Amino acid sequence: MRQPRALLAVTTVAFVLGILLVMQLRAQNGAGGLEQLSAADLTVLIANLNDRNGLLRAEVAGLEADLRGLEATGASGEGNLGRLRSDLTRLRLWSGLEAIEGRGVRVEVVGPITADAVNDLLDELRLAGAEAIAIEDVRVVAGTIVAGQPTELVVDGSRLGPAFEITAIGSPPALQAILDRSGGIVSRIAVGQPDVFVEIILSETPLQLPATRRDLIPDGATPRI
Amino acid sequence: MSTLAARFRRIPGWQWTFAVALLALGFLVAVQLGAEGPRVRYSSSERPPLLETARELDDAQAALQARILELRDRIAAAEAASTGTDRAVMELNQALTTSRLAAGLVEIEGPGLIVRIDDSGQSVPPGAAAADYLVTANDLRGLVAELWLAGAQAISVNGERIVETTAFTDIGSSILVNSAYLQPPYDVSVIGPPELYDRLTTSASFVDLVRARVQDYGLELGFLPSDRVAVAAFAGTIKLVQGRAVPSASPGSSP
Repeated sequence: MRQPRALLAVTTVAFVLGILLVMQLRAQNGAGGLEQLSAADLTVLIANLNDRNGLLRAEVAGLEADLRGLEATGASGEGNLGRLRSDLTRLRLWSGLEAIEGRGVRVEVVGPITADAVNDLLDELRLAGAEAIAIEDVRVVAGTIVAGQPTELVVDGSRLGPAFEITAIGSPPALQAILDRSGGIVSRIAVGQPDVFVEIILSETPLQLPATRRDLIPDGATPRI
Repeated sequence: MSTLAARFRRIPGWQWTFAVALLALGFLVAVQLGAEGPRVRYSSSERPPLLETARELDDAQAALQARILELRDRIAAAEAASTGTDRAVMELNQALTTSRLAAGLVEIEGPGLIVRIDDSGQSVPPGAAAADYLVTANDLRGLVAELWLAGAQAISVNGERIVETTAFTDIGSSILVNSAYLQPPYDVSVIGPPELYDRLTTSASFVDLVRARVQDYGLELGFLPSDRVAVAAFAGTIKLVQGRAVPSASPGSSP
């Protein structure tokens, strides 16, 4: 080690080693997915985040108004009784505990469709802002999954026949647009499963969806304080 | 043998140090090259402002979600404070508490699993599609579906509660859940029965999913069973524009 050339070699290697170590640590810390997105993807992401933040701001404004009302009159005031009832109804309708009605679309499915394709259909309807969905007389809630082989599909214990209907409440044009879009789920099914026929019908009259038969209270779980 | 040992003993100490340093250097170079793996970095002049805007919106979203959870807690506490003063209010409060739990608006904990799924650590072979080596919305949706089928009772992904309106979307190489932007690795927190893990790992469709994505493309999948898994509360909007109560239904009935 007394040779200057050896000392220089070790110093150089140690220097390069240090640089690489710092690069690696930085790469791991800064490996945020945003860095990986193209300008086009970032634009779509920004549009999505903007929309969502708008909805969240509206939710915050509503909750702040509720809280102000509660603090001003006390929870047992007449006005708040009405608000509590209205909140409860909205929550039960939204979560599937209560039957619901409203405008939307009906999606008729005929043929040996796969369970994955039906689950994708449900996901696309949610993406389009569906407020409530049902498959035949089964209300779709968080844990509702379609399973089984084509023509033997099962949803929440109910067997689906070779033809069945999905109903969704939400803005009919928005629901139809996302299902029918080029490269959307309906065109993917048409290409991948040519024996399956899917038709989207905008409902002229309000659709009625049943309440879920599931128990939605998680068993064995406790609220976290 | 003794000759070889003697030759080793003759090697000066600094040469050993040098060899170890070179070994470490080689390792770091390999790791660095591997990290360049599936995810591709883009560069263009229009990206920096877009990146900054996306980051600001993402931060704003996190702040709004935190505010929603805080306000819901304060409202629930204010409502609960009136319990006992009026029978009607008491009953409504009880029904609201139960409904909030059922709707996923309450953070809960219980026995279950944390399942972690992450992008592949493998380098992408020439001619292969880099996107195949990343976790997609379809992978997450499939994993969550398998967990429900195995008996899961509550699920959240990186803090986003899975509720009836939850959709999974791909935007480039990123995933939106509940329209919230998530980054890998994805931690799926699940509360469920003790047999959840066994049911999941013996399900034929889950085995197919693992074979197709973990074995073929090297996505990383891990499980951590726990007696106390926390599942986040839904911090999104509960808005009905088209939907309303069916006239014959009885709003406010017990769940």
